[in-house]
Amino acid sequence: MFRNHARKSESLVVAKHGIGCLLMLFSVLTLAGCQQNTDLGPVANAATSVKIREAFSAGVTESGSSESVVAAGTGWATIKGKFVFEGSPPEMAPYNANKDEATCKIDGKAPPQETLLVDSGSKGIANVVVFLRKTSRVHESAEPKADSVLFDQKACVFLTHVFPLTVGQTISIKNSDPVGHNTNIEGKNGFNQTIPANETVDFLPQKEEAIPQAIRCSIHPWMIAYYLPRKNSYFAVTAADGSFEISNVPAGEKLEFQVWHEIGTGPGGALLLDTPEAKELKWNKKGRFVVSLAEDEVREVQLTVPPTAFGG
Amino acid sequence: MNGSVAMNHESLRKNLTWWMAAAALLVGCGKVEPPPFRLNMTQMVSNETPTSPEYQQEIADVLGAMFGTPDEPYAVPEAGLDLSRLRMAAGAAWSDEKGTNHGLYRKHCVHCHGITGDGRGPTARFLNPYPRDYRQGVYKFKSTYNADRPTDDDLLRVLVNGVPGTAMPSFSLLPHSELEALVEYVKYLSIRGQLEVSLAAYVYDDLGEEAEVDENGDEKVDSEGNEITKRIPLDPVNDPEQREVVMELLAEIIEGWESSAEKVVIPSEDHIPADNRNAEEIAASVAQGRELFFGTRANCVKCHGPTALGDGQQDDQDSWNKAHKKFLQDMVNAGDQEGVHPGIVASRAEVVASIYTVRNAIPRNLRQGIYRGGRRRLDIFWRIYTGIAGTPMPATGPASPGAQGTLKEEEIWNIVDYVLSLPYETPSRPLKALPVNLEAVN
Repeated sequence: MFRNHARKSESLVVAKHGIGCLLMLFSVLTLAGCQQNTDLGPVANAATSVKIREAFSAGVTESGSSESVVAAGTGWATIKGKFVFEGSPPEMAPYNANKDEATCKIDGKAPPQETLLVDSGSKGIANVVVFLRKTSRVHESAEPKADSVLFDQKACVFLTHVFPLTVGQTISIKNSDPVGHNTNIEGKNGFNQTIPANETVDFLPQKEEAIPQAIRCSIHPWMIAYYLPRKNSYFAVTAADGSFEISNVPAGEKLEFQVWHEIGTGPGGALLLDTPEAKELKWNKKGRFVVSLAEDEVREVQLTVPPTAFGG
Repeated sequence: MNGSVAMNHESLRKNLTWWMAAAALLVGCGKVEPPPFRLNMTQMVSNETPTSPEYQQEIADVLGAMFGTPDEPYAVPEAGLDLSRLRMAAGAAWSDEKGTNHGLYRKHCVHCHGITGDGRGPTARFLNPYPRDYRQGVYKFKSTYNADRPTDDDLLRVLVNGVPGTAMPSFSLLPHSELEALVEYVKYLSIRGQLEVSLAAYVYDDLGEEAEVDENGDEKVDSEGNEITKRIPLDPVNDPEQREVVMELLAEIIEGWESSAEKVVIPSEDHIPADNRNAEEIAASVAQGRELFFGTRANCVKCHGPTALGDGQQDDQDSWNKAHKKFLQDMVNAGDQEGVHPGIVASRAEVVASIYTVRNAIPRNLRQGIYRGGRRRLDIFWRIYTGIAGTPMPATGPASPGAQGTLKEEEIWNIVDYVLSLPYETPSRPLKALPVNLEAVN
């Protein structure tokens, strides 16, 4: 009896404990929301990861082929053309200059922005960047250079709004203002240095970029420009009349060009075109087109750009 | 007797019912899974590298292969990471019988910096400044040139001293071996995060949709004359060229970390001010530093303000906040997102909602005597010489060894003297500091 009694109270105690534990467990689970993970995105699949790890530990063979394009022809060719705006040229608002106004405003007015520059006569679009993504060979005229490129600023505006250069060229960052600036370059070639009034500081980018990168001034945050360092000079920025020319590109192979504009609506500023002439060039959703040129051919492309390509 | 046995059975049954209910509850929740690494979704659905869910999964798998999981870290030999240290820092937090601590990262860091090192732990959104997101490999308080990675010593210094004026505490009571393990783990999370961004860029730039060609090399078209395309998967198992690319991307990142020790800025002996300067000498240096502070060469006044209260230019953001600001703007401008993969469009709203309020970079109030990167003269020298990586604070020294600097070293030491004198100098016309960290500033 005693024993039973003891067992009974024991089991009661257990039951009580059990209930207590359960209540605690329940409230913990409720609080933890069943460990619901609110984080976004997929997670690695363990089995797949193991397979990939095995493939990597088997070693990587240096084929050297990862970046190269197989040469398929001889000789050289030229591509040139023009980007023409379809519609009336947009009016550019002045920069929002709210610091150092004595320097940054001329006659009490800040200079106009350069976001989308359309020539009033020819309707040509300036500052469209066209560059060759990959190439099997490089003509000597397109080899990297070692000179310097002047990058000036005045009235708190970068005087070159968009510029390409080859890795190896030095950017001479000049400050023609009586106030100090700093030049803050985004992307793989990070740079952020003070540029004293009326002085020049040199900067040598080391790495190629896949798309133009922003250059800013932290002291005057409205200031903006873009630059594109590449391993060869198969690039062009359209002039005020919208024209560009890239000469001495390899003939006889598929050339894929990237087209970019500061406010292009495609990924990273890619210029997206859906016009018949763009379709002919197999223009894609990344703002790239493909041509194959014969030796000594001069291909001319005329591209009409609707305002929608700039989000208009 | 019978009755009590019945009672026993009864209570046993009750007990059983409870336990079954508990078991059911537990089953309902499944086993508690160890926390996984998550992807950098802001990058994945960004305008720059829109990455479809299929590619996201493949990137997650490649990262899983190269870095393992938060419970079982791994590092390919090429990464040069010390796996035993990573194991000490990784996993659940516990102590063994000998008193050795395991799971150091989850014990000390995760609540702010998050499992993935994304600076999004549970407490993160309540902190100002936000905890560091390691995944860019960018650190503010270091001894190397602006664009270079920090050294191990730099990271260790932050762990030992904490970051004064922020929520980052000092971990100086931890044994050195534990601190070393944490430094290794932080680097590991950085390298993983950097490779993730590189992979997203690679997938966007070089993979994606490719036109299908028939046996004659002509592009296939469907009945309406549209090109037929197929997705090139990120599949390093079956594509040796992709394996090579992934290893190249990793090598580029590792190179940055391994070369950091050679990128330390060591002040020239000739210009380090002597320890035994008299009051006049110090005052002269302070006066010159003041001249530079307000001048157009050093430009300190533009951001730190005429009273040095940090009340100058406050309109800019650090690179982490700026990236978020740009992402949010891009999403507003994305319009109907025609041509963007529907899987990306579907998760964009969630990612936008997950982003913390964008904050401006408020220049340091130099009159408080609180220096986040350390208060030694050398620390202040590094801040002025190399700038503060990831922030608007520019360098006044050269951008890399041998490059052209803006100020001479002795001038930088003058500014160090002036800055260190500021907490003890009464402003002639004291102005009230502007409110910091207010959305009103935006």
